[in-house]
Amino acid sequence: MSIVGKSAHSAKFRRNRWLLTAILSLYFIYTFLPLFYVITAATKSNQDLFSTFGLWFAADFQLWENLETLFTIQDGIFLKWMANTAYYSSVSAIGAALFATFAGYAFAKYTFFGKKLMLALVLGAVMIPQTALVIPMFLMLSNLGLTNTPLAVILPSLVFPPGVFLMWAYIDDAISNELIEAGRMDGAGEFHIFSSIAFRMLMPGFATVLILAFVANWNNYFLPLVMLNKPDMFPITVGLAQLYSTAISGTGGVLLFTVVMTGALVSIVPVIAAFLIMQRFWQGGLGAGGVKA
Amino acid sequence: MAVIELRDIRKAFGAVEVIGRANLTIDDGAFVIFVGPSGSGKSTLLRLVAGLEDATAGQILIDGADVTHLGPAERQLSMVFQSYALYPTKTVRQNMSFGLEVARLPKAEIKARVDGVADILRLGDYLDRKPRALSGGQRQRVAIGRAIVREPVAFLFDEPLSNLDAALRVEMRIEIAKLHQRLGATMIYVTHDQVEAMTLADQIVVLDKGAIQQVGTPMELYQRPANLFVAQFIGSPKMNVLAVRPDGSALVFADDSRADFGMPVPPSLAHIGFRPEEVQLLPAGQGHLQGKVEVVERLGSDTFVHVGLGALGIITSRMPGNVLTISQGQPVGLGLTMTQLHPFSRDGIRLS
Repeated sequence: MSIVGKSAHSAKFRRNRWLLTAILSLYFIYTFLPLFYVITAATKSNQDLFSTFGLWFAADFQLWENLETLFTIQDGIFLKWMANTAYYSSVSAIGAALFATFAGYAFAKYTFFGKKLMLALVLGAVMIPQTALVIPMFLMLSNLGLTNTPLAVILPSLVFPPGVFLMWAYIDDAISNELIEAGRMDGAGEFHIFSSIAFRMLMPGFATVLILAFVANWNNYFLPLVMLNKPDMFPITVGLAQLYSTAISGTGGVLLFTVVMTGALVSIVPVIAAFLIMQRFWQGGLGAGGVKA
Repeated sequence: MAVIELRDIRKAFGAVEVIGRANLTIDDGAFVIFVGPSGSGKSTLLRLVAGLEDATAGQILIDGADVTHLGPAERQLSMVFQSYALYPTKTVRQNMSFGLEVARLPKAEIKARVDGVADILRLGDYLDRKPRALSGGQRQRVAIGRAIVREPVAFLFDEPLSNLDAALRVEMRIEIAKLHQRLGATMIYVTHDQVEAMTLADQIVVLDKGAIQQVGTPMELYQRPANLFVAQFIGSPKMNVLAVRPDGSALVFADDSRADFGMPVPPSLAHIGFRPEEVQLLPAGQGHLQGKVEVVERLGSDTFVHVGLGALGIITSRMPGNVLTISQGQPVGLGLTMTQLHPFSRDGIRLS
């Protein structure tokens, strides 16, 4: 009897495919519902927010009014927060992605003393949440007099162990040793090989780490909360939380719930835009052709 | 153009010795091929010459100058890699000029050299393409071009043809031979393909288990292999080997059958070897050994007859042309000629 593999036409394959679609649909609903709630809530008036069905739009479409309030509240401080977030996250993300690429390249392509130990430390660091390190880091930066400066948020964010891990695995696969050796035979120094041959081949990996670090920093709440106490230095996360706390505690602050929701909606737009822009860099196959598989 | 000398070269990775005390002199302009099975150390030896690996002990000299501690580029060698190792984000022209740009040659000279080499290798139409838009053979030519433009003192090839299909491999083999005639440069070439070794080399270096087994011209290795390993590694189909013990002027095989040649036999003889073309197929009952045809392979130009000798194993005989008188299952006799036998000692070393 011959062995027949599962093909696209077999009943079992089709059954499995339906099951997969069903599970993924459930997952999609699970992730999309909160986002949808934010979208609908941002279009409502404060009264409608509590009196209408949460997952659908109210009759009174208030999005423009909410946006206007958002950008004018406290002399337009929301715009300042957005600029802060953009500044902290882009500098941190570019720095983190660069360092992750350097480290990953070294781990993947060089042998050096203590490599195994250092790699183990990086992998171990992936498991430690930044939250656990924020207080010691605060004390450290406080001693250096760096709290309440952008560096207080940027410096700790340059260390991105998951990015190092990702680049290590990616570079190990994407750049053949022979390619580096060809560069050496051509007389190029190690940094020249990295910058003029390897780096362009690493763009898909670099872009992935960049976007991951960017999103992680964009959404980071606890680190800036601890490091910064001047409202005009806050990123959106901390600023919105502050608005929210005035909304629930302050008199007359009731009005602000929808503004917080609108702020949340506005704050995710750049992240989505970043994903769409970076997408083309993920298209692999850059390494194809130079080295025969 | 260069004379390359290896003196007592050793290479160990940790406790594992990969090359043990290799001594070798490669003459100026010679085409030398390192051949051996996988794990024999042939690639490591090439990489030691290239400077991509550091020798654990010993010296490497190029034209009398000690280069043991110099980097790859300072040795002024070029290398062609098995995987081509072209820079995928650069065009063919950029690939070839990269090394020259690193060396800060004037732009006009870089252009002249690249154009000249592209002409020789028929790459002129592809200079603005990326490697992924080229066929396997074209990529290999770019890799060779990249090696030539640097005008090195010697070329190193690490199994350059093993990623190509059979037809292209033959074509590129001839191109490399022509290139060697044209440039007259010293070339060291690593392969596990003994046909490449036999056809291209001025000198073959046979390696096994990290040691040089024999150095010689292809015909020296074929006609006078220094030991059993070389005897069986060079030549296709490989040399037949039978265990024997001498008894006066006769040889006694493992199954106690005897062959008397009426000539003195060295007393330390333990194995005899003979090439497939050195054994004569005779009617059953004649000759020195009796057996039965097990498989007949017809190549058109040759017929390979595999004869089973029971406990002694299988002997291959090569006959020119398509021999129609032989068929499977047929009992045959095998005739040997004493002067054509390769005698080996118990340790596999050639006697005489």
